[in-house]
Amino acid sequence: MAEHEAEFYVGYLPRAPSTLARRTRLFVAMLLGLALALAAALVMAQQGFGPGVFEYGTEREFRGVIEAEPYPVLAVERPGEGHSRYLLSAFGKHGALPLVEAFVGRAVILRGTLAYREGLTMIEVAEGSVKLDPDALQSSARPRDDGQDLGQVTLIGEIVDSKCYLGVMKPGNTKAHRDCAARCISGGIPPVLMTRDQDGNASYTLLVGAQGESVNAAVLDLVAEPIEVQGRLRRMGNLLAISADPASYRRLP
Amino acid sequence: MSVGYRAVGWNRQKKLYDGSLLGGIALYLALFVTLALALFSEATLETILLRALGTLAFLLLHVVLSIGPLARLDPRFLPWLYNRRHLGVATFGVGLAHGVFALVQFHALGDENPLVSVLASNTRFTSISSFPFQQLGLFALLVLFLMAATSHDFWLRNLTAPVWKALHMLVYAAYGALVLHVALGVLQTETHPLYGVLLGLGVSWILALHLVSGWRERARDRELAAGRDGFVDVCAVAEIPEKRARVATLSGERVAVFKHEGRISVLSNLCQHQNGPLGEGRIIDGLVTCPWHGYQYKPACGRSPEPFTERVPTFRARVVKGRVLVDPRPLPAGTHVEPAPIEAGEALHG
Repeated sequence: MAEHEAEFYVGYLPRAPSTLARRTRLFVAMLLGLALALAAALVMAQQGFGPGVFEYGTEREFRGVIEAEPYPVLAVERPGEGHSRYLLSAFGKHGALPLVEAFVGRAVILRGTLAYREGLTMIEVAEGSVKLDPDALQSSARPRDDGQDLGQVTLIGEIVDSKCYLGVMKPGNTKAHRDCAARCISGGIPPVLMTRDQDGNASYTLLVGAQGESVNAAVLDLVAEPIEVQGRLRRMGNLLAISADPASYRRLP
Repeated sequence: MSVGYRAVGWNRQKKLYDGSLLGGIALYLALFVTLALALFSEATLETILLRALGTLAFLLLHVVLSIGPLARLDPRFLPWLYNRRHLGVATFGVGLAHGVFALVQFHALGDENPLVSVLASNTRFTSISSFPFQQLGLFALLVLFLMAATSHDFWLRNLTAPVWKALHMLVYAAYGALVLHVALGVLQTETHPLYGVLLGLGVSWILALHLVSGWRERARDRELAAGRDGFVDVCAVAEIPEKRARVATLSGERVAVFKHEGRISVLSNLCQHQNGPLGEGRIIDGLVTCPWHGYQYKPACGRSPEPFTERVPTFRARVVKGRVLVDPRPLPAGTHVEPAPIEAGEALHG
């Protein structure tokens, strides 16, 4: 009879038979070793997390002019270079419109946390921090670079919520992040079409409707999937926006 | 065994089991998080924790599902089975942490109740690549919750063994949902082939183990024919080791034929506690002892010693020319049957 067959384990007895106990310890050690090796392999096989940065815990002060169409932005004057436009969001998965709609077209000071990636920047506006800028001349606050028509284009990319993708969440795109992106865009975060050129360089284009309106509710079912958008491309300072009826967006296989 | 209910009937073996389990869980999480943060400085801690907890829960579920068939194939794995419910509860706990983290991360702080959001954010049920994989994870978590919540013997007794067993068989539905949760979720985002290979290996391991142990069981379940007097020739007395049993299938029911102190006693093979295989147990201190959790029965009447109240059906037997003959008709649980003497039978018919 094999040694292990002669031993019998009863769990409520104080000690397991010695050979069985030794074997069990060996099996436990082997399983633990396997689990730790698996953990290491799973970690190392992950693809990168992207260059986005969210300055969590760091609040800065910003001065600029609030614009709300099609999405809330802060236009910040760059001496001799026109304006840089920073997308705005509120805390969590909420758009910034309720925080800034009383200040549209006005020069303001606000506090917030930066998220940025590859040339696109967002400020998560601290609630209650927006106030009129006492040092600015409100009558001449409106930025001069109102927009430039770049013509009809076809873009292929993925709809992402601009907040998570810029660095708040990693990964902030593809299937694993799909539900979150839908929740963020539903809450008012500007939807952005992320496209990549042949070298893998990313470009970001705000999605707006045919009349220049926001399209959040209409794109929820299309996030995190490859899609094609045909529409009119427009530059607003450092931001690009494509105008098209969301019903014309084409889901790609 | 106990006559009352306690949250956990702690003993040395359970403490060793749970200590090893919690130590292993802590080591896995610590290694995963430390290594990930060291290798990926741009990663966020929330995502790393989410992945550490998710992979650990899935790994633990593979261990849970492996123990049953492994213990059937090799009794050296019986110590793993003794406290398997604690392993199951720990698996649920780690899975719950992963689920809550995901719920907060992906659905909280938005314009919808997070629990509604997890069900409504993605309804692309007709697409494979966009299928709502989080809902599959939620389903699995609910099943694991039901199992963890009813894992105590209180529920086993009050739900009755068949209902409890059927409820806990849902673990295979949960496992299937989790395989899809992984395949339709993170595998759609991560591109390294290792993830697909590991998932395939895990599923193959679980399937192969269950098929092999099931095939062994079926081979052992070969029905034996009854003689003219209705008794079935089960085996030779010499084939049964002392204080152990041989399992046979009679009229569709497994019986355990025990040899002890020159006599033969036959009981149902199913322990009343969790349907453990009594025939793979031993006779200790004159009592049939279940190999799973040590429940004990008197061989002559199938009753647990007082003050315990468990009972299993008994069967009539006799020994003729060194062969054990068993009446396949079960007697009511707890019915006393005088053990068949081996010597007398052989003297009478030899």
